[in-house]
Amino acid sequence: MSPLNTTESGHKYWRSLDELVRTPEFEEAVKREFPDDEWDRLPPASRRSFLKVMGASMAFAGLTGCRWPAEEIVPFAHRSADRVPGVPQYFATAIELAGSALGMVVTSFDGRPIKAEGNPEHPDSLGALTATTQALILEMYDPDRSRHSVQRLGGQDFSRTWADFDPEFGSMLGADGAGVAVLAAPSSSPSRKKMRQAFETRFPESSWFEWAPVTDRNEGAGMSMAFETSLRVVPKLDHAQVIVAFDADFLNDHPASLRLTRQFAAGRKPSAETMNRLWVAEPGMTGTGAMADQRVAVSLGRVAALLGAVAAALVNDHHVEMPGAANGLIAQCSADGLVEAEAAWVQQVAADLIAHRGDGTLMVGRRQPPAVHALAAVLNNALGNVNRSVTYVDVGAQAAEGIEELVEALNGGQVETLLILGGNPVYDAPADVGFHEALSKAKHTIHLSLYRDETSQLCEWHLPEAHALESWGDGLAWDGTWTLAQPLIAPLFDGHTAIEVLSRAIGEKAVGYDIVRSTFADAGLAGSKSLNDAWRSALHNGVVPGSALSSAQPPFSSEGLATAAAALTALAARPAPTAGRPELVFAVDPKVFDGRFANNGWLQELPEALTTITWDNALLMSPLTARDMNLKDGDLVTVEASSRFIDLPVYVLPGPASFSLTVWLGYGREGAGQVGNGVGASAYRLRTVGNLWSVDGPTVTSTGRRYALATTQDHWAIDLIGFESRQLRVGQLIREASLDRYLEDPETFRHMDHHPPLVSLWKEKVYEGEQWGMAIDLNACTGCNACIVACQAENNVPVVGRDQVLNQREMHWIRLDRYFKTPEGADLDEIDDAQVAFQPMTCVQCEMAPCEQVCPVAATQHTEDGLNAMVYNRCVGTRYCANNCPLKVRRFNFFNYHKDLEEVSKMQFNPEVTVRSRGVMEKCSFCIQRIQQVRITSGNENCPITDGEITPACAQTCPAQAIHFGNLNDPESVISASRENPRSYATLAELNIKPRVHYMARLRNPAGNSEQDAGGPPEHGHDVPHGKESA
Amino acid sequence: MTTRTADLSYLNNTTDDPVGRPPLVLGGRTFGDVTNTVCGIVENPRTPPLWYVFFGLSLSLLGVLGAMIAYLIFTGIGVWGLQSPVGWGWAIVNFVFWVGIGHAGTLISAILFLLRQKWRTSINRFAEAMTIFAVACAGIFPAIHVGRVWVVYWLFPIPNQMSMWPNFRSPLLWDVFAVSTYATVSLLFWYMGMIPDLATIRDRAKHPVRKIAYGILALGWRSSNRHWHRFESAYLLLAALATPLVLSVHSVVSFDFAVSIIPGWHTTIFPPYFVAGAIFSGFAMVVTLIIPTRAIFKLEEIITLRHLENMAKIMLATGMMVGLAYSTEFFMAWYSGNAYEGFTFLNRGFGPYAWAYWIMVSCNVIVPQLFWVKKFRTNVVLLWIASILINVGMWFERFVIVVSSLSRDFLPSSWGYYSPTFVDVLTFVGSFGLFFTLFLLFLRFGPMIGMAEVKGVMPEAHHGRGAHGDYHGDVPTDRDGMIPVKAKREVVQ
Repeated sequence: MSPLNTTESGHKYWRSLDELVRTPEFEEAVKREFPDDEWDRLPPASRRSFLKVMGASMAFAGLTGCRWPAEEIVPFAHRSADRVPGVPQYFATAIELAGSALGMVVTSFDGRPIKAEGNPEHPDSLGALTATTQALILEMYDPDRSRHSVQRLGGQDFSRTWADFDPEFGSMLGADGAGVAVLAAPSSSPSRKKMRQAFETRFPESSWFEWAPVTDRNEGAGMSMAFETSLRVVPKLDHAQVIVAFDADFLNDHPASLRLTRQFAAGRKPSAETMNRLWVAEPGMTGTGAMADQRVAVSLGRVAALLGAVAAALVNDHHVEMPGAANGLIAQCSADGLVEAEAAWVQQVAADLIAHRGDGTLMVGRRQPPAVHALAAVLNNALGNVNRSVTYVDVGAQAAEGIEELVEALNGGQVETLLILGGNPVYDAPADVGFHEALSKAKHTIHLSLYRDETSQLCEWHLPEAHALESWGDGLAWDGTWTLAQPLIAPLFDGHTAIEVLSRAIGEKAVGYDIVRSTFADAGLAGSKSLNDAWRSALHNGVVPGSALSSAQPPFSSEGLATAAAALTALAARPAPTAGRPELVFAVDPKVFDGRFANNGWLQELPEALTTITWDNALLMSPLTARDMNLKDGDLVTVEASSRFIDLPVYVLPGPASFSLTVWLGYGREGAGQVGNGVGASAYRLRTVGNLWSVDGPTVTSTGRRYALATTQDHWAIDLIGFESRQLRVGQLIREASLDRYLEDPETFRHMDHHPPLVSLWKEKVYEGEQWGMAIDLNACTGCNACIVACQAENNVPVVGRDQVLNQREMHWIRLDRYFKTPEGADLDEIDDAQVAFQPMTCVQCEMAPCEQVCPVAATQHTEDGLNAMVYNRCVGTRYCANNCPLKVRRFNFFNYHKDLEEVSKMQFNPEVTVRSRGVMEKCSFCIQRIQQVRITSGNENCPITDGEITPACAQTCPAQAIHFGNLNDPESVISASRENPRSYATLAELNIKPRVHYMARLRNPAGNSEQDAGGPPEHGHDVPHGKESA
Repeated sequence: MTTRTADLSYLNNTTDDPVGRPPLVLGGRTFGDVTNTVCGIVENPRTPPLWYVFFGLSLSLLGVLGAMIAYLIFTGIGVWGLQSPVGWGWAIVNFVFWVGIGHAGTLISAILFLLRQKWRTSINRFAEAMTIFAVACAGIFPAIHVGRVWVVYWLFPIPNQMSMWPNFRSPLLWDVFAVSTYATVSLLFWYMGMIPDLATIRDRAKHPVRKIAYGILALGWRSSNRHWHRFESAYLLLAALATPLVLSVHSVVSFDFAVSIIPGWHTTIFPPYFVAGAIFSGFAMVVTLIIPTRAIFKLEEIITLRHLENMAKIMLATGMMVGLAYSTEFFMAWYSGNAYEGFTFLNRGFGPYAWAYWIMVSCNVIVPQLFWVKKFRTNVVLLWIASILINVGMWFERFVIVVSSLSRDFLPSSWGYYSPTFVDVLTFVGSFGLFFTLFLLFLRFGPMIGMAEVKGVMPEAHHGRGAHGDYHGDVPTDRDGMIPVKAKREVVQ
């Protein structure tokens, strides 16, 4: 083309430098028909213009129906004729996390998804969602998501379109896929499975690798040892009287944690026969450990020895007959070498399991090596628990090679083109594998991802991935139930899903809808219905009912168990960690999971339940460990293993095993986005492929610097005066007793407060119609934090950032108060372990509200149905109400926290709730918008509001169903009944505030001979009259 | 210098002679001397260079205040250190501090007037001016501390189309009424008392601008008998009106805390405790200001050592009252058996804010004990340092009450620790800028000593009879007519 530019005189005439030097960008532009690739990108839209574009898109989508079959989202197709603007609609969809699909129902407001709830039809959700999965909504609207493809050429980035990519993709894949490798996360999706098969058929020479930092691979491998088949263990806690968790944080860190929480909490009903008992042995302090009736702290490496000791006790003391194939394995088990506390725990567990044969379950967490899982399977079998309190299902896992093999292939020059579908291996691959370095060995690298993250930045091509809420997809629940995902909105940023990319690879360019639907059709799930009806009903429900896999019970494999025996011998020999050789344990982050949600403000600002840490990870250790290692709370330390190191602040909390140091994965991101970058330190840098979950003997050296962790509650370390007073108070605030004591005297909780009769200064209001009340069952609450995120999403609660949290200005309307409890008379210097008590705390809507009386402008008022309402418009912001609030649940907008939000983020807001401006007080409203919505409907339909019709966001998502809401004036309502429950009490009732939120006292159920009694404050004598209050 | 030092002994009028009372004005001055001294300051064409230095400094601090308020209003209350348990911090502490200081003036002019404490005449104008300026400083803080300053007028019961009234149950609203009433009455009282003196300056003025300006301010005062008659009646009435306000304003300010539910705030001792504290701090501030002023403007003969000693005695008395209140609080916290209350006070003394508590106790209880000793009461330098320490202590008293109570209330999960930001600090410092700017302007352009009243307590006012004794005597027999009128006439003639 050069002659064009050269005139006869020899001069060059040119229009731009790009043209002159002929950059690839320019070449590309010349080839393209429409050089400006930005023209069809969704501009950063205001709500109004977004609606316009959406409306136009829908109208034009109708036009396309003339020629092409439209993708249909079934309920929408039904409703579009009489769709009412402003009336929210609900669609079932799903998210796949850690290889298991979780059903959701998403609220869509005028085409805009605004809130994710659990899908009551889905077996792993049962109407609840975790804190993490609820925050998906915010992730979808994240302005940091990548908005177009990027090609990296010669160190420069060029923005591209899918149309640019397709021809390149074809040439990169070649004819038969020779030199092509795919790296993907393990998935349960049948469509993914189908597309993988299609891909492998089309490109027979290609190879497929799988990697995810958090999987249940150990469990699968353990089951393979025991049964020669990779099975999933499905605990049935509704049938379990005795639950023994070995390093299993099943209430938080399990694909089916929501269902397990529901079943566990349902089993906490106080009666001698039905209340379950939870035994926990774990290295760190987890939410499950906090719920334990009897807990023992044991290092990660010694959990195997402890389970072995239980096995030995069962065989030797209780003469339990083990399956023949397991003889070799059982022979390796012994009760030797336990410390006193461990031995006592083991004895009691064994006795309890024997007392409840067939009604117990032993659970082993994903961090334990396969042999431990195999041993647990053997014990569950021997105790007759299988098919009662635990079942096994075969999901037919596809074999794939791991990331080590991929790196080997890369280094061996066998990979020319690497296609990475999702994931972020540059960030989360084990450090010793060297993925980062090996990546550059491939000639072409392609990364499909939601963000232009660490991996994308190193790849030649970055492709924008469609968000889960923008995608068609499917997956299997933990028990195998077929789950469908449908898009709530057209992809905001031109993304495509992994299955669509695979389809492009084989040249079909099928859309997600067709792929998912054809998989559905092929699976023969229609049954007696027509395919169309079955599909529509499955989409509507989000699940295919009855598609759960039937339980499998293959015979034990003596060969596999022999392998397990050998492994167990090695495991049992592992010494307990010491000050000189501590153990570093990796934990899945309860908020940002493996780090993929690091750019999510809701999750970063969510206080972790036990430490209340926000915006950081830390090195967690017990007080005596810290003392013996010469460390203090807040010290910044360098943790080094195999000459790789990270800096972490120390956080001291009671509970972790001695010299077992826990760190959460998922922090220290560099390519997460403006929210997640630089938050915490990446523990992946210390992770090795040989031992994914712990490091033995890392060196921990103090840097001499201190680091302020943004916690929402006081640290464990506190001045003596505060400490002593807290000890005195907590027993009153969070009432607890052992089950035995409660059964003996059900009135025990009512004797716990002393106050004179409460007399009203003025005539109290008499309520006709409704007056609302709430009850929170502390016996069920597991501290999972789901309510906090639910409230944040529902009520447009702002994220304020680390600095503001450090300054104690977090805005959460509901918070989780966490207290540690040690026995009376314990030596403060020797405390290493403690019981944990949680108390969700929100505005208790006092009938005699101290806030209402002091507001000079009457901006906080009582409503006709008894709520303490905030009138944002009227508030001038004196903060007097917050000062006078005895529970400190009022939150003040110190700044305009929404000022810098991008337009796309604003689309998440719930239009039913005012977005509060600067200088205004806010607080829990009992989700008054939900109350009013039901009230309007019931008014229109002229029928009374029925009990359970109104559910605040926190109650709706609570997996333990610990929060109940209803009309106190209705004698038939659940809430009225709960007030009669002897466990019901009001916090700070002695102030005569008459709270509308009552708590149900917590019961602990330690084994009979163990007097780890959970007593509250000493009761007063029965001759002393105790206050009566009327609310 | 040496001669002057030798002469200084006559300035000590603090000895109590059982035969006759020492005079309140020294140096054998005539009415004319008093007028010349006081008006001389206003009329002196050459402003003292020191005045410019102080005024420049004050003006810059006022600028800082303005900048901080602008920053606050444009950015949000978050620029202060406030947070979840501690919703009120320095702003409210400063408010109570300034209101407290604003107590001395009206107390001196109204209550001491009613109690016939004649020595008040030398310092009352000065103290009243200080009151007005302190209340002006105080008034800023509640206004700017709200989250939405632009709607702060909702705190006033202004009829509006929304039919929305303020909440009359809120102590904060009572506060609005109490402080605004107090400010209004104090201003009236101060200004009205100043009219005869303004007329004197007007009469002596030579420059036409001064003639007009002081002429307007003097409101046509002609010093007629009728004027004096009405003036005295009005003065008495306003004094009677202001007297309950002195007690009520700080009582109502204390209701902000006492009516709440927070341990450490919710106590019935607050009204008298706050009033005593306010008088304490008010006198301390008067002493702090008057000592350098009398030295710079050479007013030792009018504002005598005896005046200072009297104020030291009042500080001793009110300091003891405040100390009693501190100990009563502790006693009640223990005696009530209320665990929350008990903890709050232990926490004050030994918790994270113990440093503030012990500063408060040292400055407010220990420092005034010096005043038992006459040598210390009459040592001007020591008195001045002590008065500053008392001011510091009284600021910390409010800090302890407001912040330490809030930082740890009922639920241990919500406990916190409040620290101010630079904006908090500079706003407070800036409020001194406002105070001193106004004060320096007053010293330069206003009659800082009530000439008419001072003359009324001079021996010459009583037909040459004896000295001061008459007024402290049992029966002031010859109060025939308006004594100050005669005094005034002599000056005017």
